[in-house]
Amino acid sequence: MTDLLNAEPTYIYVYIGFLRYIAPVLAVILLFRCIKPLLTFRREPEIWAWLCLSDGTKLPITHWENVIGRSKRSDIVINAATVSKTHGVLTRYDDGSWSIADTDSSDGILVNGEKIDIQALQPEDVITIGGIEMKLQPISRRQEAQLAKMRTKGSSFVTGLSNVLLLTVFQVLCCLGYLMGGQAETARSVLLGFGGIVLSQWLLLLFNVCIRRTSFEVETIAFFLCTMGMAAVAAVCPEEALKQLLAMEIGLAGFLVIGWALRDLERAKKIRYLAAVAGIGFLVITLLFGKEYYGAKNWLVIGSFSLQPSELSKVCFVFVGASAMDRLVKKRNLILFIVYSVAVCGCLALMNDFGTALIFFIAFLVIAYLRSGSIGTLALALTALGFAGVVALKIAPHALQRFASWRHIWEDPLGAGYQQTKALMCMASGGLLGMGPGRGWMKNVFAADSDVVIATITEEWGLVMTAMIIVSIAALAIFTVRSASVGRSSFYTIGACTASSILVAQTILNALGTVDVLPLTGVTFPFLSNGGSSMICAWGLLAFVKAADTRQNASFAVRLNKGRVDSHE
Amino acid sequence: MNRIAGRAGITLLLVLILIAGLGFFAAEFITEADGWVVFPGSPHVYNGNNIDCGVVTDRDGMLLADLRNGRVYADAADLRMSTVHWLGDRYGSISAPALSNYAAQIAGFDLVNGVYRYGNTGGMVSLTLSAQVQQAALEALGDRKGTVSVYNYKTGELLCAVTTPTYDPDNVPDIEGDTTGVYDGIYVNRFTQSTYTPGSIFKIVTLAAALETVEEIQQQRFVCTGSYALGSDQITCESTHGEQDLKTAFRNSCNCAFAQIALQVGGEALEQYTKQFAVTDRIAFDGITTAAGNFEAADAAQINVAWSGVGQYNDQINPCAFLTFIGAIAGDGKGTVPYLVDRIKVGKETTYSAEIVKQDRIMSVSTAQVLQEYLRSNVEQRYGDEYFPGLQVCAKTGTAEVGGGQKPHAMLAGYVMDEAYPLAFMVCVENAGYGGTVCLPVASRVLAACKLVLDS
Repeated sequence: MTDLLNAEPTYIYVYIGFLRYIAPVLAVILLFRCIKPLLTFRREPEIWAWLCLSDGTKLPITHWENVIGRSKRSDIVINAATVSKTHGVLTRYDDGSWSIADTDSSDGILVNGEKIDIQALQPEDVITIGGIEMKLQPISRRQEAQLAKMRTKGSSFVTGLSNVLLLTVFQVLCCLGYLMGGQAETARSVLLGFGGIVLSQWLLLLFNVCIRRTSFEVETIAFFLCTMGMAAVAAVCPEEALKQLLAMEIGLAGFLVIGWALRDLERAKKIRYLAAVAGIGFLVITLLFGKEYYGAKNWLVIGSFSLQPSELSKVCFVFVGASAMDRLVKKRNLILFIVYSVAVCGCLALMNDFGTALIFFIAFLVIAYLRSGSIGTLALALTALGFAGVVALKIAPHALQRFASWRHIWEDPLGAGYQQTKALMCMASGGLLGMGPGRGWMKNVFAADSDVVIATITEEWGLVMTAMIIVSIAALAIFTVRSASVGRSSFYTIGACTASSILVAQTILNALGTVDVLPLTGVTFPFLSNGGSSMICAWGLLAFVKAADTRQNASFAVRLNKGRVDSHE
Repeated sequence: MNRIAGRAGITLLLVLILIAGLGFFAAEFITEADGWVVFPGSPHVYNGNNIDCGVVTDRDGMLLADLRNGRVYADAADLRMSTVHWLGDRYGSISAPALSNYAAQIAGFDLVNGVYRYGNTGGMVSLTLSAQVQQAALEALGDRKGTVSVYNYKTGELLCAVTTPTYDPDNVPDIEGDTTGVYDGIYVNRFTQSTYTPGSIFKIVTLAAALETVEEIQQQRFVCTGSYALGSDQITCESTHGEQDLKTAFRNSCNCAFAQIALQVGGEALEQYTKQFAVTDRIAFDGITTAAGNFEAADAAQINVAWSGVGQYNDQINPCAFLTFIGAIAGDGKGTVPYLVDRIKVGKETTYSAEIVKQDRIMSVSTAQVLQEYLRSNVEQRYGDEYFPGLQVCAKTGTAEVGGGQKPHAMLAGYVMDEAYPLAFMVCVENAGYGGTVCLPVASRVLAACKLVLDS
């Protein structure tokens, strides 16, 4: 009887049997190597200058942007009744120069006896705050170089190289799996898709080495996610592999450009206005010329290309939301941002795109909290969401239906619950290790490579792989939070935290929506979902994460400490 | 910057939600994935309505169907035709509840591997059916509609359960376009889902009830003049049987005698005993529930009580349930529930193994023994042992009038007494004529095939 059961043990069966175990092991090792430095790097307190008060006390200045005030939460606390709670902001620039700005304080700030709004500081300038005189004494260049030496390095070149090598092995095994099980006519497309990712990651690593940056963990994680996205494409629609690769290349270009733009804070602040116009512009254009698919008017079709400009608007929104400290503490600034957000929200409401609106709202909440620190503001915003949500549900029966079937998908497995019940059946069929590449059934389900992509991945690669994918997104977010305390500017910290929050929020809505823990909202999974605009957006957001990486020589989006540091390396 | 760094924690809140959600799902996955995998329509286990994994063989390892990748059925067309009602077809027109019932055991799900099997092997299902007997039964039925079944009344194994009309799943005829009626009810498994007017095989039930209720019934003598008048109505016989004792009346299948016996037992008691004998009950095994039979005499007029006692009136029996009743007589008053799926193996691991399920006692040992003596005498003295060489068979034929100008259903129920061949059988052939002439050759053929299988 055994001859009936054991169909010919061909090399394919042997290979798949082997790959089921080796692929998750490789992924776990690779991600452990990438995530560990992100979550454990030391954040030493760094002293950049001293504030010498007339009574002889020397206050250490530990950040590039410092709030001076009476409030205990200020970076520089001057406990005198004449000093406002938030009095001013002391800012250091890339070239080592400093400025001081008044932040609507009651008494104002005097520099050399003259009342100023914002003033670049010269050596020996006398600053008067609330009647107290003081002088800023920046650390010497020697000390600065010493600091750089002490600072945690971005991981070494060798580590980056070996991680990329490991990833390449993973990608080759992955690609082979799909080539063996797949159709001959799509083999070329699949090969080019995976090959393109491999080539891109090596070129980016090379570029990183050329500009003397050493850290590549964040990029490696992103390329890993793109690889799994390509796996989903190979499983569901292998003929679209090249298209997805192209989207990744455009995303990479965007990543480099935004990273470059962010490198210079002054430049970034200027681009911010451009981003604001572009962000709202994308939405308006979509409203005017967009096409409606599945109830949401969020597609722009140009010839044979179609894109979702709202995805690009997300990146712009992060730009707009970020702000340096000197402006941040002024009320006017927040009001402008709220006005801008309302405009964006209005556009999204007209577009009827519920999922995207939710992501923007979460981004808004994060920015609002980071900027104001007020739970009260958030409570008001949440109330507003409640009202807006009720209205949206009344208006959009499409969304209502999704909420109606939430946690009841098994009651209507052929109707409203079809996508999710099939997703769960297939995920269960895959178990922890998966059915093997190309062996899945999810391809027959609508949006198997986007809205419910994790079901496709779990079915073929197992729940372990999916958990690793989700953990790596979480790790990126935790990294940005850890970086915040050594952030160079609130501009970068707000940008990075917002960007990573968007990545996490999309992951929450997509992954937990697919498995019916949350309602299915049709939000894409960053880097994983097949779709050009989503891919470009994810890479754009990643640039903000890189810009907040202040480890020594780690990130291409952060300036090298010119000359001064190099002489000590 | 201190303030901003502190507020960055809001991002951690989102991370927390994500990780908590992942954890929640992981817990759901661990506890519920086994159910998701076998939920009807689960793509790796089902194809449409029918199960789509595993390999099904007969009791001797003969391939009946390889359900992987689009279903490969047995090589022989008659074997495909005689088993399609158990295996299901490719399009879900015929479902396979017995296989679907064990979807989890066939798919061999475990949390680590899901339903992945090296080389896509899947589960190995051994049915109790014998391919040879199925083929013999189908051939014996020919193009007539009906059902033939044989089961081991000691263990419950179904050696044979064929239903016609049927078709070759590898060569599907134009069923929808047919106007001749040859495919009527083709998707129905008559063995489990049909009910028939039993005709004289129901006299076994009436006899058993009389033996349990009417004192000294065996000493009574019954006169048959060809008809038995009840007011303005009458019960009729095929011929005039004259004066007979109970055993002879049973052997003659005398309607006049059994009308009198039914009246002696009384409509209420008859209905109560029918219930006690579980003749009209639904039987459940391997995820299958049989159609319920029907018997209503408690409040019926005398003539209807009389007709119900000879298996007419509103009597309806399901072949599987009646087979089990016959099995209970063979088992001295205690029956065994039939079953179809013997064991399931996935790789080296046995994921399912059938167990013998005994019913509650339905009649006393002495009643069962008298019934056996009478049933045996039917074959010995009337039908002829030559139909069943090498076997001691007890049986009762029936010719069930169905009205509407149609030929009666031919029925036969019985069992083999031999220790080595503990087989009960049931033959129903629709609109075929006399029970004896139609069914005995069918039973003869099928039991001979069974004997061969059990001997080897």
